[in-house]
Amino acid sequence: MSTDVMIYASGLTKRYGSFKALDDVSFEVAKGEVVGFLGPNGAGKSTTMRILTCFISPTSGTAKVRGHDVFDDTLAVRASIGYLPQRAPLYLEMTVYEYLEFAARVRNLDPVTFKKRARQVIEICGLAQSLSKEIRHLSHGYRQRVGLAQALIHDPPILILDEPTSDLDPNERSEFLNYLKQIGKDRTVLLSTHNLKEVEAACARAIIVSRGRVVADGPLDEIRAKSGRVRYIVSVQESAGDAPYRGKGPLPRQSEVEDALSKLPGVTKVVELPTDERAHSYELAGEDGIDLRPEIFRLVADKGWVLLELHRDTQTLEDVFRQLTIGDARRNRQLGPVKEDDRDADHYDEDEEDEDDEEESDDDSDSDDDDGDDERNER
Amino acid sequence: MSSETIEKDAKKKSRVAEEAEERDEEEEEDGDEADSDSDSDSDDSDDDVSDDAATRPMSMVDTMAKEKVALDRPGSARMVWTITRRELAAYFNSPITYIVISASMIGLGLYFYMYKGGFWQVDRVTMQRMFDFLPFALCALVIPLFTMRTLSDEKRVGTIELLITMPVKDSEVILGKYFAALAIVSVQLALVVLYPVAMFKWPWRLGELDWGAFWVGMLGLFCLSAAGTAVGLMYSAFTESQILSFFATMLTLTLLYAIGNVSAVESLQGWLGDAVAFISLQSRFEPFSRGLLDSRALVYFISIAVLCLCVAFHALERRKWT
Repeated sequence: MSTDVMIYASGLTKRYGSFKALDDVSFEVAKGEVVGFLGPNGAGKSTTMRILTCFISPTSGTAKVRGHDVFDDTLAVRASIGYLPQRAPLYLEMTVYEYLEFAARVRNLDPVTFKKRARQVIEICGLAQSLSKEIRHLSHGYRQRVGLAQALIHDPPILILDEPTSDLDPNERSEFLNYLKQIGKDRTVLLSTHNLKEVEAACARAIIVSRGRVVADGPLDEIRAKSGRVRYIVSVQESAGDAPYRGKGPLPRQSEVEDALSKLPGVTKVVELPTDERAHSYELAGEDGIDLRPEIFRLVADKGWVLLELHRDTQTLEDVFRQLTIGDARRNRQLGPVKEDDRDADHYDEDEEDEDDEEESDDDSDSDDDDGDDERNER
Repeated sequence: MSSETIEKDAKKKSRVAEEAEERDEEEEEDGDEADSDSDSDSDDSDDDVSDDAATRPMSMVDTMAKEKVALDRPGSARMVWTITRRELAAYFNSPITYIVISASMIGLGLYFYMYKGGFWQVDRVTMQRMFDFLPFALCALVIPLFTMRTLSDEKRVGTIELLITMPVKDSEVILGKYFAALAIVSVQLALVVLYPVAMFKWPWRLGELDWGAFWVGMLGLFCLSAAGTAVGLMYSAFTESQILSFFATMLTLTLLYAIGNVSAVESLQGWLGDAVAFISLQSRFEPFSRGLLDSRALVYFISIAVLCLCVAFHALERRKWT
C-alpha cells in the first residue's frame, strides 16, 4: 500500500455499554484529499474523529495517522493533526491572543515562527479585531474561528474538523469553504458536517455514516450515481385558459395522464407534483440505464397532449443521503415498512431501499481498497 | 497498564523523540532557511518515508510505512510549566481565588487574636495557635475550593478534549494542574507568614520567635497541602461537577484530619488506635506544629500525593474506555 495514506481506519468499533456507537468503520484518506464526513446526528462522526485524535480508544479495530497507531503512538499522531472539536470548547477566561500563544507553546513553536504563523492564521480566520478580547465575550461564530485558528497555528499536514461551520453565518461559511479549498491542496482534511451543500462545495469525496456504519464512501459523483435511479419531471397542459389550445382532442384528465405514464415500460413510480390549474405535473422514477425521455415524448405526442416540460435529473446528494440514512435509522428503531404517507420526502418502497442499502454496504467493503488505489494511481 | 507496556511505550516514545531531535538538529543546520520555509517540514518527511518504504518489507499487519513525524513538542518539564502557567493565569482571573485567600486571612486573624482571648492569653512567643487553626482551614475550605475546578470544569465545558488532543501527555496535564493548584495554596501559606513577620520583626517586636520551629511548622503545612491538593485533584478527575468534587475533597480531608483528634485515638485501644493515628492527617502533622521534623510524616504526605496523582492519571485515562 502506498505511503500516501494519511488516515487509515480499519474495523473501528466503539461500544458505550450496550450501545454501539461505531460498528466496523473502515476508510482511508489519502494525502491532499478533502473528505466530507457525513451523517445524521448520532451517527458516529464525532466518535470517529475522537478516535483519530487519540481522545478515546476504539473498543476494537485499528486506526493509523501517517502510519502511527492512534493507541501506541499517540504523541506522533497528535503532533501531526490540527483538530477542531465540535462547538469549539475553548478556555473562556483567556484572550484570543493568549489562547493562540498557549496552543503555539504546547506545539513548541518558537516566538518568531509563532508570530509569523499567527499573522497568517489571524488573517485567514478574520480575528484581527478580536485578538485582545476574552473568549467568553465572543459569539459562537467567532469562537469557532478561534478554534480553527488554533488548529492551524502549527501548520499541520492533517486537519480534522468536527462541524466547523455549524455556528458560522452564510457569508463566513462560504468564506471558510473557499479557504478550505485553498488549504486542501496540500493538506489532508477530514471534515464532518450535516450540511450537504458544503460537502458539494468543498469536498471531492464523501464518507456517509449512519448508525455507526459506513454506508457510502467514494467520489461525490459515484455516490450520487449509487442510488441507480433517475427522476423525470413531466408537465402536460391541463387547461389553455384564454389562449387557444394547441393540442389534439380534448384536454387531458389527471387520471388519464397518470395511468398512461405509469404504464410506460421502465417507469417504477409516478407521483403527482403540486401545480396550478394549467398543468398536470408528475415526477417519474426510472432505472439509471435507460433514458425514458423518448418514450415519454412519444406517448404525449401520440395522445395529442401538449408537453410543457420534460426534464431528466440524476439524484442530488441530498436524496442519496436521505435514502442511505433513513432506512437504517428506521430499522434500528424497529419500525415496520414505511407507509406511503410517511414518505413524502422520498418516493421509493422500503423493501427496495433495504436491498439497496445492503448492496451498497457490500460494495463498500469490497471496493474500499480499489477506491484508494484508483485515487493514488491518478495522482 | 502493566509496567511492561509502560516500558514499551516509553521506549517507543523515546525513539520518536530521538528521531525528532535528529530532525531538529538537521533543521538547525539549515538555519534560517528552514525557518523561513515552513513547507520544508512536510517535504522532508515525505522523502524520509519513500526511503523507508523502499527498504521495508510490507507485511499484512503493518500496511503503512510509518511516516516520520517531527514530534514538535517541548520537553516534559516545559510542557508542565506551560500548563501550570495557563492554570495559574486562570486562577488569578477568577474571583474565587481572591475571596478564598482574603477570607482565610481574616479568619486566621480573628482566630489567632480574638478567639478565647487569643494569642495574648497564651502569654508565650509562639505561633502554636496558628498551627492549630490552619491545617483545619486548609482541609475544610482552602484546598477543596482551589482544586474543585481543575479537571471537572474542563470536563464539563469540554476544553479537556482540545487540551488532550494536543501533543500533551496525560501525566503532564495532571502534573501541570497539580503544581498550579499547589502554587496557589502556597501563595496562601506565604501570605500567612506575614502575620509572624508583622508581630515579631517589623513593625512590631513582641519578642523573639523561634523561627526554626516556625519554618518547620510551615514546611508541615506545605506537605499537608501537597497531599491535600492531590486528593482534591483526584476527585476533580472523577467528576464533571465542581460541587461534588468540592464536597468529596472536603469530607475526605476533614475526616482524615478529625479522626486524629487525640481524645478519639486515646479511647481506641490496640491496633485500631494505631491504625487511626497512622492514617490521620492531624497526628501526622502534630510533630511539625511543635517544631519537630518527622521524616515518617514526610514520607506519609508524599505517598498520599503520589498515590492520588496516579489515581487521577488513571481517572483521566478512563475517558478512553467509557
